[in-house]
Amino acid sequence: MKSSPIVVLLLLLSFHARADMLSDARARFRDGEYEQSAKLYEQELEKSPPSAAVFFELGRALNKTGQEARAALNFRRALILDPRFGPARSALQEANVALGIPPGRKDWRTQVVERIPLDPLALAGTVFFWAGAFAALAAFVPPALRGRRLVLGILSLIIGLSLASVAWLCDPRIELANTALVLTNGGTSVRSSPADQSEKISSLPQGSIVNLLSQRGRWFYGLLPGGTKGWFLTEGIVPLIPPA
Amino acid sequence: MTGKSMKRIFALLVVLLPLCLRAQEVAVGLSGSQAQVGEPVQLMVTVRGARGADVPQTLSVKGLQISLAGRSTQFEMHNFKMSSTLTYTYLVVPQFEGEFTIPSFDVQIEGKTFRTQAMKLLVTGGTRVPQQMPGLPQNTSPVPLPSGQPPASAETGEPFFAELILSKKKVYVGEVVPVELRFYFNSRIGGQVGERPTFGGEGFTVQKFSNAVKREQVVNGTSYVVFSFQSAITAVKSGTLEIPEATLEARLQLPGKTPQGLGDFFNNLPIPQGMFTDNRDVSIKTKPMQIEVVPLPKDGRPEDFSGAVGKFTMEASVSPKKAGAGEPVNLKVLVSGQGNFEGMGAPILTGDEGWRSYPPSDKFQSTDAVGFTGEKTFEFPLIARQDQTRTPGLRFSYFDPSTGKYMVLTQEPLEVNAKAGGAAPVAAGTPAASQADKPAPTPAAVSTPDVTTMAGGSTSWASLFFRREFLIANASMAVAWFAMLLILSIRRFARSRAGRELTRKKLLRDAFAGLREVEPSEFYEKARDYIFLRLNAGGDDLAAASRIDSSSLPPEFKASLHRVIERHGETKYAAGGAPPPSADERQAVILVLKDLEARYEK
Repeated sequence: MKSSPIVVLLLLLSFHARADMLSDARARFRDGEYEQSAKLYEQELEKSPPSAAVFFELGRALNKTGQEARAALNFRRALILDPRFGPARSALQEANVALGIPPGRKDWRTQVVERIPLDPLALAGTVFFWAGAFAALAAFVPPALRGRRLVLGILSLIIGLSLASVAWLCDPRIELANTALVLTNGGTSVRSSPADQSEKISSLPQGSIVNLLSQRGRWFYGLLPGGTKGWFLTEGIVPLIPPA
Repeated sequence: MTGKSMKRIFALLVVLLPLCLRAQEVAVGLSGSQAQVGEPVQLMVTVRGARGADVPQTLSVKGLQISLAGRSTQFEMHNFKMSSTLTYTYLVVPQFEGEFTIPSFDVQIEGKTFRTQAMKLLVTGGTRVPQQMPGLPQNTSPVPLPSGQPPASAETGEPFFAELILSKKKVYVGEVVPVELRFYFNSRIGGQVGERPTFGGEGFTVQKFSNAVKREQVVNGTSYVVFSFQSAITAVKSGTLEIPEATLEARLQLPGKTPQGLGDFFNNLPIPQGMFTDNRDVSIKTKPMQIEVVPLPKDGRPEDFSGAVGKFTMEASVSPKKAGAGEPVNLKVLVSGQGNFEGMGAPILTGDEGWRSYPPSDKFQSTDAVGFTGEKTFEFPLIARQDQTRTPGLRFSYFDPSTGKYMVLTQEPLEVNAKAGGAAPVAAGTPAASQADKPAPTPAAVSTPDVTTMAGGSTSWASLFFRREFLIANASMAVAWFAMLLILSIRRFARSRAGRELTRKKLLRDAFAGLREVEPSEFYEKARDYIFLRLNAGGDDLAAASRIDSSSLPPEFKASLHRVIERHGETKYAAGGAPPPSADERQAVILVLKDLEARYEK
């Protein structure tokens, strides 16, 4: 029991230190010390839970130092955590223009995540689902079958499943789980087989996105934006969602 | 080789050879019904069910040069039946435009005469292509020798030799020139050859080799097995270019010494490979060559020359035809033809003011084995800066080595309906962002620190669906739901007829079992309860008596039951109490009740 105050004190000190680091990073950004600022943001992200705001600010600092690809990576990470974060979306588009990466077409998922918060949607779907499931069950409570309760239950069940399915399909943390960004200067070559001398079938410019399918040694096998599949070196290919 | 072995071989031949003889057929076909002037097509005469045939060496058609190029044989064994197919390949080289008829001609097979069908060939105008290798399908593409004469090495009667066939002796820098390496082996030689020849040198690049095509060819009356490899070279500097020898490694079974005095006899027999032979590792080399490489002319070179050398066409399409504000449209350009696809740049957009364009992606699809012929697709993503009804135009320049001139292909703008807008709008009239004018990495849109307060979202990389709290909550709900389902099911069953019957049976079993262990003073009460339960009489003595009387039980049995009820009354209500039942009396009552149980069970 004596140790409890000490633990609380340590936690408070830790929180204070983190707050200081973030404040310091922001202050340095305001003072134009972008590289230092970026380092502090990175340290903050290593110690704290991921935050869309911090990733965005890190991307902004990197962008100021001319590291567009790394900036784009962090803007994308900010958007994965908060798909409705408009400034991060605009900043990503600007970074992509600088990198020469063409904009992707907005599919229905993007349009959904830009408008609806996904976690509340998933929770609402779950609540509807279970409410429907219990209501449907209650329809069978003796002595008689209650038709209206059954219909309402099934309706609620279907609504809940639909909402949860949309949240699942649109969640970038699921959709982009195996997606990576090319950080290598000058991009990377895509080859027909995992060998340096094999035929070059395409190239991935710096900042482009690729879906990783498998890995063999120092080679990734991936799906390119145009639908082509090929092998490319793992160096400079960074997953959008950092490994745990 | 003993005499016994020879006899076995002859016996095997006697058995197998007649199996080769099946119904004889002759078929004839062209590799294409249309061709351009100078573009060779193949005329193939296929003979089935015969080991040989006499065909004409040339065919005379005005405007077409037709000559026999070679013969190939294919054996198949199916269910112990052998079949052979002979293919005689003629090369047909059109001399001028027109519609030609290749007349029917005679094919002699073992004394019988077969007549082929006449065929038509439409020849259109075009530049003369001095070779036809890339356009022809693999495995059936004998490349014509430049002189139309057999290789010089064949005259020496060598058991093997090689030659390098180059379609041109004077080429331009950057021009892709198809080459073919042919390795000839006397058909009486067995052995193994390497997978690929080694070939390369300074001043030119070599494309990867096609797979080997194997065929038979008669050269100066000697039958050779020919392995040909196709590739293409590209000169990278001007001047005299030395093409070094190409080498193919092989392990051959070269003829050894035959028994003295029997050489002629064995030479005329179909002797199995390996008999009287020496195995030798050999390197078969082509002869070095020289070609003249001239630089691309400076005169007439367009400023936006793409670097393409060859002969090309261009097509374009746009999709989607309608795009909302800020949505990209895709301008797809297909450059097809023959030439240096690897070295060519993208077409140039013209009149692209009002569009934001991005560097195009490109993809090459070869239609031959060496990457000389094919099509390259460029895709330009475009976003309208202002409302647009037409895409930018396109311009593609290349150098045509056959005419020695630069050519320019243009594409008019295509119709499209694209709305201006987007997250990063650009003032109207400013030049398009392209590879040449990438915007500087100073994003104005991200320079406001206050925007960070707009960020919310998750603080975890794991989706809500995979978080522990979410999974535990849902698992708890699922457990509760199944528990509720179980309880409801049990309750419904208990209320059902079957459930009620089951409960009653259990009560009866328990009541009967209790009779044996109960205190004597309570024996008749329990016995009466059992009768009530058995007869569904509730707790009323009168109702029970009425049930007993109305039942179909025998009278003496009814009296026994009445007696049990009366004894219960006496035990309970008689002054001073009735004496407890003796063991015999209890046994007698139990037997009555057991009998009652048995009767009702029936």
